[in-house]
Amino acid sequence: MNQLRLYFIKGIRWVLVKMGRGGSLPGTIALKLDPRILSKFHMPKIVVMVTGTNGKTTTSNLIVEALSACGLKTIGNRRGDNLREGIVTLLCANADRHYKVQADAVVLEVDELTVSRVFKDLSVTTFVVNNFFRDQLDRAGEMETIVRRIESILDDYQGHLILNADDPNVVRLADKALQASVHFYGVDKTEHSLVLSHEASEGKFCPRCQSPLIYEYYQYSHIGRFHCEKDDFGNNPLEIEVSHYDEQAGTFTVDDTVYPAFQNAIYAIYNCAAVLCVLKVNQLPLSKAAQVFSSFTLKEGRNEEFDLGKKCILNLIKNPTGANEVMKYINAFDYSRNILIILNDHVQDGKDVSWIWDAQFEMLMNEKTDIIICSGSRAYDMALRLKYAGFEHFEIIEDVGAAAARLKEQNKESFVISTYTALQPTRAILRRLSK
Amino acid sequence: MKMKILWMYHDLMDLYGDKGNIQVLKRRCEMRGIECQVDTCSLHEEKDCTDYDLIFIGGGADKEQGILVKDLLARKENLKQAMDQKSFVLLICGGYQMFGQYYIDGDGNRIEGLKFFDYYTQSADHKKRCIGNIVAECELEGRKIRLVGFENHGGQTHGVKTPFAKVLKGHGNTFQNGYEGFYNGQVLGTYMHGPLLPKNPEIADFIIEKALARQYGKVELVSLNDEIECKAKEIMIQRCLGGK
Repeated sequence: MNQLRLYFIKGIRWVLVKMGRGGSLPGTIALKLDPRILSKFHMPKIVVMVTGTNGKTTTSNLIVEALSACGLKTIGNRRGDNLREGIVTLLCANADRHYKVQADAVVLEVDELTVSRVFKDLSVTTFVVNNFFRDQLDRAGEMETIVRRIESILDDYQGHLILNADDPNVVRLADKALQASVHFYGVDKTEHSLVLSHEASEGKFCPRCQSPLIYEYYQYSHIGRFHCEKDDFGNNPLEIEVSHYDEQAGTFTVDDTVYPAFQNAIYAIYNCAAVLCVLKVNQLPLSKAAQVFSSFTLKEGRNEEFDLGKKCILNLIKNPTGANEVMKYINAFDYSRNILIILNDHVQDGKDVSWIWDAQFEMLMNEKTDIIICSGSRAYDMALRLKYAGFEHFEIIEDVGAAAARLKEQNKESFVISTYTALQPTRAILRRLSK
Repeated sequence: MKMKILWMYHDLMDLYGDKGNIQVLKRRCEMRGIECQVDTCSLHEEKDCTDYDLIFIGGGADKEQGILVKDLLARKENLKQAMDQKSFVLLICGGYQMFGQYYIDGDGNRIEGLKFFDYYTQSADHKKRCIGNIVAECELEGRKIRLVGFENHGGQTHGVKTPFAKVLKGHGNTFQNGYEGFYNGQVLGTYMHGPLLPKNPEIADFIIEKALARQYGKVELVSLNDEIECKAKEIMIQRCLGGK
């Protein structure tokens, strides 16, 4: 019976793939037929799980490629299907009739809220947590809730736990993982590190004793080197320490070895450090990661370029920290430009759009920006955000197609930033306009 | 003319973009040539509340609320004096809860409030929260105003004798309560984020008038072009209420 079910699911997936559709529908059906299906799979020796707020897709895709480069047959939910249904879809597609997963390694990107529902079924051997930022408060609730849920599964975990040493809410997980092998990665001070931060909204207090945390420097948002003067929280030896990040050259250094950065941004260096840490604790050669970093291309909606007559670069934004980093990236370009912001409020975007007041859209309001077009289901909210920051050169065009056409008609270099549910429609429109 | 705002715990009670309210108040003053000074006040900072026309506290997470309560309670007398001298107070979510009797958080911890008012707050079951877009109607000095916002609170506030608004769609002070917030002519407490003021410019102006009244008595504010604000509000009302 179990076998029949599995082949039925494989069949559905095969048909969908033939139709050119991916998605996690097969997993949804599989879970309906057998709610306990996840616990039935025989997992390979290496099972890497990656979670956190920002950068999970990129980090897990890098790990897939790095493990493959080490000669391991590696599978992963590469398209960011990071809920239970997506994981089941992946495992069904790659399991034999005895539910044995046909791979040497599985890499799973898992949504922060889903981790506690799947962790114990998946025989995780390496668990990576990269960061916690404020994200979709209507869906996820307060950060404290997310962190506590992840803490709750760590008490008897005995595998490798790989943590970003520069995020206090990630570091605190180590206190609950008493049986795990805990490893930290971090990035030393760079020329852009700040002594004071205007972006940090978390990490103000020691999770052990509630005293204020002392920050030596900030990298971005609340990520940086910190410690508690009372109980030493935050002083952890680093397994992977990026000692130097050379932004000009696009390289970084770990233990005197220079690696190329796949993307020139501080958060990307953290992703790289996490990947190196995964290889190191699994006793795999770090040199394989260097190959991957030099050839890796980012996913859809991450600095994705279109040709609208003039260059147009598309980026996804989901939360204040991610949006701030995208705006820093835009500001690094010297040329004058137009900007299209598409703000939707569907469930996957977060129905609460108040986060736009926490993101620093003021960064876009400078002499390089000509006009900003506000679009999407909450275009007017975006316009108010700009208006009350004192910016006047904005237009409101709710329909994304019309807004993109207006952008093209301006015949000027441009940037598009879009929330999650608008991303695929926007890509389709920009592709069409590129012809 | 000059309006002085004291923004309390700006670095702790900053969870849902409530800082947008400050931006709106400041800008709507400045557009009318009224100077607006915004001072912040966090833990252990010495500030005299009686110096200010408007005192603001936004929403925060349970944890932060627990951390600042001692500091807040130490300012009780000073806050009382400020209210006696006609400072206007705007409180969102956590700030609103703390002006009541007490707050029992999700773990069952009792956090004492300032006890200025009778209402008190108990956290709902761990997983249950009042979440979603909300439309309400308030009556301020004879004028009926429709409001939109976003609520996201586990805390259930009981014993409010003078609510701020009647809920047309959404929850309010407790699950399906029918009434939202607290208002007594001088202190306005509400669960409405969004933030509250960008899409409700009538409320922003009402608060500015009330705050300026402390120093200048009755002030007539010049009307502004609120086309975008009204459209943003109208879209949300249409979506939540349909043709009603």
